[in-house]
Amino acid sequence: MIQAGVIGVGQTKYDAKRRDVSMAGLVREAIDNAMLSANLDWDAVDAVILGKAPDMFEGVIMPELYLADAIGAVGKPVLRVHTAGSVGGSTAVIAASHVCSGQFKTVLTVTFEKQSESNATWALSPRYPYSPHINAGAGGYFAPFIREYIRRYEAPEHIGWKVAAKDRQNALKNPLAHLHIPGIDEKMVSDTPMLWEPLRYLESCPSSDGACAMVITAKDQVGSRNVAWIKGMAVRSEGTLSAGRDEVNPQAGIDCAKDIYNQAGITNPFNEIDCAEIYVPFSWYEPMWLENLGFCDLGEGWKLTDKDATAIDGEIPFNMSGGVLSSNPIGASGMIRFGEAALQVMGLAEDHQVEDAKVAMGHAYGGAAQFFAMWIVSSSLD
Amino acid sequence: MSDSKDLLRAPFELAYNYKRSNGPIMSKFFEALGEQKILGTKSSTGKVFSPAAEFDPETHESLKEIVEVGPGGAVESFSWIETPQHHHLIKEPFAFALIKLDGADTCMLHMVANCNEADLSIGSRVTANWSEVQEQRITDIKFFTLEK
Repeated sequence: MIQAGVIGVGQTKYDAKRRDVSMAGLVREAIDNAMLSANLDWDAVDAVILGKAPDMFEGVIMPELYLADAIGAVGKPVLRVHTAGSVGGSTAVIAASHVCSGQFKTVLTVTFEKQSESNATWALSPRYPYSPHINAGAGGYFAPFIREYIRRYEAPEHIGWKVAAKDRQNALKNPLAHLHIPGIDEKMVSDTPMLWEPLRYLESCPSSDGACAMVITAKDQVGSRNVAWIKGMAVRSEGTLSAGRDEVNPQAGIDCAKDIYNQAGITNPFNEIDCAEIYVPFSWYEPMWLENLGFCDLGEGWKLTDKDATAIDGEIPFNMSGGVLSSNPIGASGMIRFGEAALQVMGLAEDHQVEDAKVAMGHAYGGAAQFFAMWIVSSSLD
Repeated sequence: MSDSKDLLRAPFELAYNYKRSNGPIMSKFFEALGEQKILGTKSSTGKVFSPAAEFDPETHESLKEIVEVGPGGAVESFSWIETPQHHHLIKEPFAFALIKLDGADTCMLHMVANCNEADLSIGSRVTANWSEVQEQRITDIKFFTLEK
């Protein structure tokens, strides 16, 4: 397999309403930043891989048609990826797979969501005949899984507040983050209204406009560029409502993580991974994913969170950029995790840089916690 | 196979409300239509796109330079509608046409009305007719008619 790395990451400013740009303009802003950071001309791009969440969100059906000019796909192969909320991650994996296949030297990949022009909550919950209307967006769907996690491991309620405050404190160090909440702390989180019990308002992700792009290239094209080497990547899926499925600790997440650790030669992720950008759209998913991804034993995740292990200066920093809890352009949210992991090992994360980060993990999940995409990036190829 | 008449069916209607932001280039294009002007965008190679495009499909550049084109142009191709249906905007026979406006290098899809099929050919000179009420939409151009 061809070795590949990220040579450019480009992001937009994330905000509730990017009324200043069209969808095409939004996507292009991320692409221009990625191309600039990769120091690359359009001629060097061999294929373009586009990802976003369901077409029904913005009501633009097959956005790859409308966006072909904006993403520079004219005259080149284009592929559109969709795996619900994990799409930003799976798009990155598919783009990297194009390079690793040896068929493409350099691939541009971009993901986006323009939630201000969309109807994400209700597009997730259509009123189908013969079934009761679920009448809930993602938060309502995940709340029972979180309730079950709390019950299984007798986790105290402040854990959720703690994650929510920590990620927003990190966001204050990331000028691109959507939410900048001065003075954010656990008390402020716990004072906000209950949205989907046990999740409070500030324990939930915002609705954001934004796009994220990356340039991924083969080893022989890197030259003298700063690069985040892709050491392992994988995608896994499971059913939505399959009987016997453990929604709290999904098997697909366990398997996906094991796969990338094996590829990267990681036997102890807690010790060997320096930092991670993990898809945490609702606060409690931090301890749940700490366990699911093998950073600790079952029931120990909330204890790691409680003792600040996931803080930016902790033993296993999670979501230094502020995470999905601070910026959530859904289709892009997974790629932001992958791209931010790359920025960490490239030493380009500026004020939210983890000191001496050499190995980082990017993670995304989607659907009914049923689609997973992950990668490990490293500052060295060895 | 079972008789499908015995199987359950139900209507299912799906409708959502959305918003659209046009961005700086397309906003200028539609605002200008409201002032009875047709704009295009010009690339670094001198190519003019009208309707305005935000990006050049060949050079991949972001297009920023705005130029005025038309209101006259030439028919590049057309499809004659002898019997308009209820959804057509014109109730008399008309043509859907690709019109290359003066000053533009690309074509606009619009309608040519108030003529007979025999009067229309590829290369026919046409000019924009404006709607009575301007709404900053492409239908602010009511249709094109043959130049006199």
